[in-house]
Amino acid sequence: MSYKDPIIHIDEQLCTGCRRCAAVCPVDAIIGEPGHPQTIDAHRCVVCGQCVQICTAYAADNESTTALRAVKLQERGQLPNVREPLFAAYSSGDIQKVKAVLADPKRFKVVQCAPAIRVSLAEEFGLPFGTLTPGKMAAALRRLKFDRIYDTNFAADVTIMEEGSELIGRVMSGERLPMFTSCCPAWVKHAETVAPELLEHLSSCKSPMQMAGALFKTYGAELDGIAPSDIFSVAVMPCTCKKFECSREEMSVNGCREVDVVITTRELASLIKDQGIDFIHLPDEPFDSPLGKYSGAGSIFGVTGGVMEAAIRTGYELITHEQIPNLQLDFVRGEEGIRTAEVQIGELELKVAVVAGLKYVDAVLAKVAEGTCPYHFIEVMACPEGCVSGGGQPKLLLETQRKIAYQARKSAVYRHDSHQKVRKSHENPDIIKLYKDFLGEPLGHTSHHLLHTKFVDRSLKEEMS
Amino acid sequence: MNRFVIADPDKCIGCHTCEVACVVAHAGNNMFLQEESGADFYPRLTVVETGEVTAPVQCRHCEDAPCANVCPNGSITNKDDSIFINQDSCIGCKTCMLVCPYGAITMVPAHKGGQKQLQSGLRSNTAGSWSRKERIVANKCDLCEGSGNGPECVRVCPTNALQFTVPSQIEDSISRKRLASAQSLLQFGGFPHL
Repeated sequence: MSYKDPIIHIDEQLCTGCRRCAAVCPVDAIIGEPGHPQTIDAHRCVVCGQCVQICTAYAADNESTTALRAVKLQERGQLPNVREPLFAAYSSGDIQKVKAVLADPKRFKVVQCAPAIRVSLAEEFGLPFGTLTPGKMAAALRRLKFDRIYDTNFAADVTIMEEGSELIGRVMSGERLPMFTSCCPAWVKHAETVAPELLEHLSSCKSPMQMAGALFKTYGAELDGIAPSDIFSVAVMPCTCKKFECSREEMSVNGCREVDVVITTRELASLIKDQGIDFIHLPDEPFDSPLGKYSGAGSIFGVTGGVMEAAIRTGYELITHEQIPNLQLDFVRGEEGIRTAEVQIGELELKVAVVAGLKYVDAVLAKVAEGTCPYHFIEVMACPEGCVSGGGQPKLLLETQRKIAYQARKSAVYRHDSHQKVRKSHENPDIIKLYKDFLGEPLGHTSHHLLHTKFVDRSLKEEMS
Repeated sequence: MNRFVIADPDKCIGCHTCEVACVVAHAGNNMFLQEESGADFYPRLTVVETGEVTAPVQCRHCEDAPCANVCPNGSITNKDDSIFINQDSCIGCKTCMLVCPYGAITMVPAHKGGQKQLQSGLRSNTAGSWSRKERIVANKCDLCEGSGNGPECVRVCPTNALQFTVPSQIEDSISRKRLASAQSLLQFGGFPHL
């Protein structure tokens, strides 16, 4: 995949022009007349993949199109074992690349999985919606010959340390408020496109995926005594835009890409099938330490409101030096739309908002631009219910399944959190060790170098000049 | 009168959701889970697209069903106000497919338990090697008889372009038309010398 690959495509030979993709696109990037093949405006497109999820126009697998099918699978970057019909809207695959590197014993292969993979991967093997399989997932990745099975959830805990400290600093100084989360690459791309003048309101934190990648090729490389350039870093994500994010120019550390390849939940499932691994009967295996140990707070990043909830759990205790009275913050949990709350933290009344679904964010941005936005901290996720509903997740064929599936995946995320012994990022022993041995302190010099970033003006006038 | 599903071409947007739903309703398992040997994607309705019209076409469950009238071994019967193909006894002769005026019948490999069924006697020579030949049977809309929810295509259509028509609805519609017709006679009232 190159930086120029728009990642989301509509196959004009298959598109019937029903325009349901245009109806779910949060940024009006799908252009065309009803009844005619649609095209995507790559400038506006935030690569969220919701169009890929909703599309039902397809080429079925029958004899007359078999040759064509093989060509299309190759073009789409999918493995030839994929038997499902080819849908008109699709995302570029990178699984062939990963398969090739996995067969190379000279490379040191490191993998990370987003919080929302372990609640949905099992669906691809016929298990019910929301079946929770972190242990089988780790086992499958080990069978695939990854050398280290790490976890994005660990980096989600790091994100809370960095972003939480950043928020506290900004609230105390009253500067650059409100602060927006920067974990969701589709939201970041959208902000860069439509509101470049407000980019200083975004947290300077990289997303957990990129933080993880940066730590693998520094701290992780040191621990394993491996040269960073020998590490091949793969991320399994519920999100098609993560492919875009990992290819951003600035996402490198000491000259190495932080994340070399991103594959989606569906791509991982197809690789597991391709390798003949019996996923359902795998034993539960642990992630590798230390970059695979996470708290409950890290695991709820996969749902809308999760970053907010995790940040409040830690922020509350860092500011007040007291235990937070209740770990389950129902006021930020929910679904598509905007939710707001006021949280009493010591003497501070923290005003927060959670935006799920990118179409709701423009009203918030307008308020920030006119200086009347009352919130301190705003979480934005581009997909309707956060990453559990991402464009790279197992495809839901029918609208009737959508609500049920999202609900089941979400409750699995919260169930996973509630069963963790450690449920606050700052109490994760491996996070404490990471700061003690390597990073120093949140927002310190090393953190700044590895874990924070700058955003780019992508407005059209910039592109044209 | 037999029940049937019919589409409104003005509402159909050609999205193929009905076909996908049909497969999901009949495959018994998720189509993303198919093994290579058991690829089983046979919608029982077909979205037709031309420059002028977009609409799914499926079995009309004809009262004087031509398919049933020509079936040489009685595999097509009238059952619960619908035309039903017994795929267990179907011999794949294609006569029903030829006579169907709507093109609603297709021939598909027979499946049982996710596996393609093979014929016991007939061998097939492909590229010089012999193998058993799969059993092919007639396939068409069965109004999702097994699901208990009625036709899945009707439930999922995002524009409500499909309608499940049952005899009582037709009778209501006919009596409404008769009423309107009677009322329209009022304006001609009192033909004195007829």
